[in-house]
Amino acid sequence: VNGGSRILLVDDSQSDVELTLHALNADPVVTRVDVARDGAEALEFIFCAGRYEGRSLLDGPDLVLLDLKLPLVDGFEVLRAVRSDARTASLPVTILSSSGEERDVVESYRLGANSYVVKPTEFRQLATALQLLSSYWLRLNKPARRAFA
Amino acid sequence: MLGRLTADFNALIASVAGELAEHRRAEVEVKALNSGLETRVADRTEELEAANRDLEAANRELEAANRDLEAANRDLEAFSYTVAHDLRAPLRAIDGFADILLSEHAAELSSAGIGHLGRVRDAASRMQELIRDLLEFSRVSRAELQRRPVDLRPLVERAVATLLAEAPDRAVKVTIGALPPCSGDEALLEQMIDNLLSNAWKFTKDEPGASVEVGSEVVAGLPTYFVRDNGVGFNPTYAEKIFEVFQRAHSTEAFPGTGIGLASVKRIILRHGGHVWAESQLGQGATFRFSIGGEAE
Repeated sequence: VNGGSRILLVDDSQSDVELTLHALNADPVVTRVDVARDGAEALEFIFCAGRYEGRSLLDGPDLVLLDLKLPLVDGFEVLRAVRSDARTASLPVTILSSSGEERDVVESYRLGANSYVVKPTEFRQLATALQLLSSYWLRLNKPARRAFA
Repeated sequence: MLGRLTADFNALIASVAGELAEHRRAEVEVKALNSGLETRVADRTEELEAANRDLEAANRELEAANRDLEAANRDLEAFSYTVAHDLRAPLRAIDGFADILLSEHAAELSSAGIGHLGRVRDAASRMQELIRDLLEFSRVSRAELQRRPVDLRPLVERAVATLLAEAPDRAVKVTIGALPPCSGDEALLEQMIDNLLSNAWKFTKDEPGASVEVGSEVVAGLPTYFVRDNGVGFNPTYAEKIFEVFQRAHSTEAFPGTGIGLASVKRIILRHGGHVWAESQLGQGATFRFSIGGEAE
């Protein structure tokens, strides 16, 4: 496997980030979690620009957990940018949002989200959801390793 | 001969003069009438114009009120969106860190400390229920009504199956009678059926021979559906009040809940142009009846 299973977590809530990291730390499937606190940082990370200029696109991530309501650039914009670039067009992106609003769900899928999970309010359920997500997307699912032509 | 001629002529002149005078009188009368008519027409026109102006003003007021209402609706939508997003994050933090303390730091806590943390988690879970039900109430209030012919039976069967699966240890005798088709928004009606049945389930929990009956009767040519249980019932004084938001006929300790479910039921029925009411005596079960109006909201 191409360097293990790396997750990019995009979330602006400090406590949500801490709880998510706490849950993912116990997950043997996950080898690395990077955190972006807003949409602009997420795009810089994914496309190895700005603060992440030294990074290589080959270093993942293998899965993006993307919140929708974010400062500067929101989750929809991040998703749109990721899908419109051939290098990341097939990158698995799971929306992890507190919103269960139908319009958010529809818009996410319209922009090419692979999956949409409503962030549970209870920590145990959040931990279970994260475990299911990592085992599906990082272990079971077979990703495309080459960029789209 | 001449004298007769003169007399005739004079008579003719007199008659012509008389007719002329008559004619002039008539002319004056017509003129007076005409001017009266003109005045009246002018008066009426003015009245009509004034009425029109009033109507236009009323229309403008109505349009302004409509705009206010639309703005209020948008505010409400933005509010529930905020509730969904911004209230849930701190709640997740409260529940999450309390959970981590309990599961990973229990050894460092006294038994009282562990008890207090349990209370924190219970309260967080209660608040989570409140937010969920408030959001549901807001959703059933603003969701677009899509009317179609609906068969209520599968909705009832699904709700019963879910309730049976959630509490497999409970023995509830369920009877489903004839349910004539109706016209309504299937998703909203399903929500309403879910709420009524889970209510019936909840309030029969202490009844050894619990039974829930769903059926219908024709009242004034329209089907009226009912959900009847043999549970604790409620004081009929509060038969209207229980449909209000946050109003409950029993304590949360005795019967958990948020007091929003029946408010959602009523909102859904009203939006369909129907009626819902409840009949009960304390300790003698309760019957909830509803009709689903024929016309869209």
